[in-house]
Amino acid sequence: MGQIEPQAIAEALVHARTDLAHRLGVNEPDITEGSVEPAEFANAALGAPVADEMSAQVITPGWRIYLRAKGKTYEYRATARQLRLFNFNGENYRI
Amino acid sequence: MSRNNIWVHVTIALALILIAAFVGGVRKWSRVHHSLQVTLQPGPKPADQKSEASEPDDSDKAEVLVRFRTGTTRETIDRLAAQFNDEVEDRIESVEGLDVIEDEDGKSADDVVAQYRALAEVEYAEANSKIALDHEDAGRKHVHADDEMFSRQWGLSNNGENGGRAGADISAMRAWAVTTGSEQIVVAVIDSGVDYGHPDLIRNIWTRPEIIKAYHDDDLTSDEGIDDVHGFNVVDDDGDPMDRNGHGTHCAGIIGAEGGNGIGIAGVNWNVKIMPLRFMDDDGAGTTKDAIEAINYVIDRKRAGVNVRIISASWGSNTRSRALEDVIRKAYAEGILFVAAAGNDGSDNDQKPHYPSSYNLGNIISVAALNRNDQLTSFSNYGAKSVNVAAPGEEILSTWLEHGFTEKKGTSMATPFVAGVAALMLSQNPKMSVDDLRARLLQSVDPVASLKGRVSSGGRINAAKAVGAD
Repeated sequence: MGQIEPQAIAEALVHARTDLAHRLGVNEPDITEGSVEPAEFANAALGAPVADEMSAQVITPGWRIYLRAKGKTYEYRATARQLRLFNFNGENYRI
Repeated sequence: MSRNNIWVHVTIALALILIAAFVGGVRKWSRVHHSLQVTLQPGPKPADQKSEASEPDDSDKAEVLVRFRTGTTRETIDRLAAQFNDEVEDRIESVEGLDVIEDEDGKSADDVVAQYRALAEVEYAEANSKIALDHEDAGRKHVHADDEMFSRQWGLSNNGENGGRAGADISAMRAWAVTTGSEQIVVAVIDSGVDYGHPDLIRNIWTRPEIIKAYHDDDLTSDEGIDDVHGFNVVDDDGDPMDRNGHGTHCAGIIGAEGGNGIGIAGVNWNVKIMPLRFMDDDGAGTTKDAIEAINYVIDRKRAGVNVRIISASWGSNTRSRALEDVIRKAYAEGILFVAAAGNDGSDNDQKPHYPSSYNLGNIISVAALNRNDQLTSFSNYGAKSVNVAAPGEEILSTWLEHGFTEKKGTSMATPFVAGVAALMLSQNPKMSVDDLRARLLQSVDPVASLKGRVSSGGRINAAKAVGAD
């Protein structure tokens, strides 16, 4: 499993929280952190490709970030280089 | 001395002569046999590694191939060689300015190369690698690579280390007894670019010959065209396909890291030309449109006279694009093999296709990934109909950014093994059609139990069989 610096995880969390607040139209304090788990993703798109996207077929170590808001759980996927929102209303987003 | 004693002495003398002759014969046979045991290396060992007591013979002397720039006179070449205590051993008449130079004062081949590369009069200098058979095993010839990390390249030669299964590899060493590749064969690596300055790749990177015009696309480029010296960067629409992700550099090393140079790793091909293309960004992602632009570039270069016969495509998605399929079909018409990763979802491509590997085209080979035990990896996609073959794809060591090396896993890594074997085959038979190339490659696999019903060929690629070594 590849390592991500704690600083990178913290930045990804902040970024994800801001993104979700914006998407849901809520204040950031209304978003709670579920968990952060190490993961291996199927490809360089972190298993969350956006429309019309091709990605390198290399196993990519990273993290799953779960956030909760309005009674629902949302999954972000992160590496030190990128952040994606997985399956948000049926779509993936590259943040 | 009595007459009887004389005969006793004569008999003993004859016996000693016969024994000496027999021993001499054995030694001579041994020398001949030993000549088959030299490994490929860039010239002899450095002077400080030699035994002081041993007198170097001619075979120990470093030889380098030096090409002097146009206009350099014979007198200048001789003077420069003498200045370094070297001798011009031979001239290669067919290539202007190319000389074979022999070191006379015990320097290593690398040191001699460095001396000449530092000269303004020199276009290039390279060690004269010695290729010889390493050993024979059950009558089958092998060639060993002296590259520093070769022992970690289980995909090329698996001795069963680290819990692996001996022989679960592509039989590269036996293939190398037949061919180590050819710089006449160009393999396009359509990916995140390639670090074309990596020391283990730099000599195997394609450079556009002067006779081939710069790339021109009315919709993409200015009137002057793109100065595609080493390839094409579709992301930035320029001629610099430098890799800033690492993935493309890793794939390129599997196909063609320079072998037998004492450093890093060996590629499936020791000699080949890698054409780098960058259509995926620093995160390893790109668009279908840019993938199409990259393939279009390869087709254009083929039509312009570049002998690019293989595209290695370690990428994909689950989205079908007819445009992408069409451009790969065009590549087929140009005689270009398209080797594609089957994908890493651990799923059946017959049920849920992965593109471009799942397009039903005659030039596509879809590749699954094996571990060092000959087992299909847990992440690898498969498909009895739509995935064709498997290759090593886990714990794969190859070239990386910042002139480094690292291990990666994925069908991304398995794909360039197959592209590399196809290039080896073409080095032997450059005129082989794409249909024959694909068919022969798939027919030469080693059957593997874990692949039965999972890939159409039922096996792992075998480079030795593919080039006729077995």
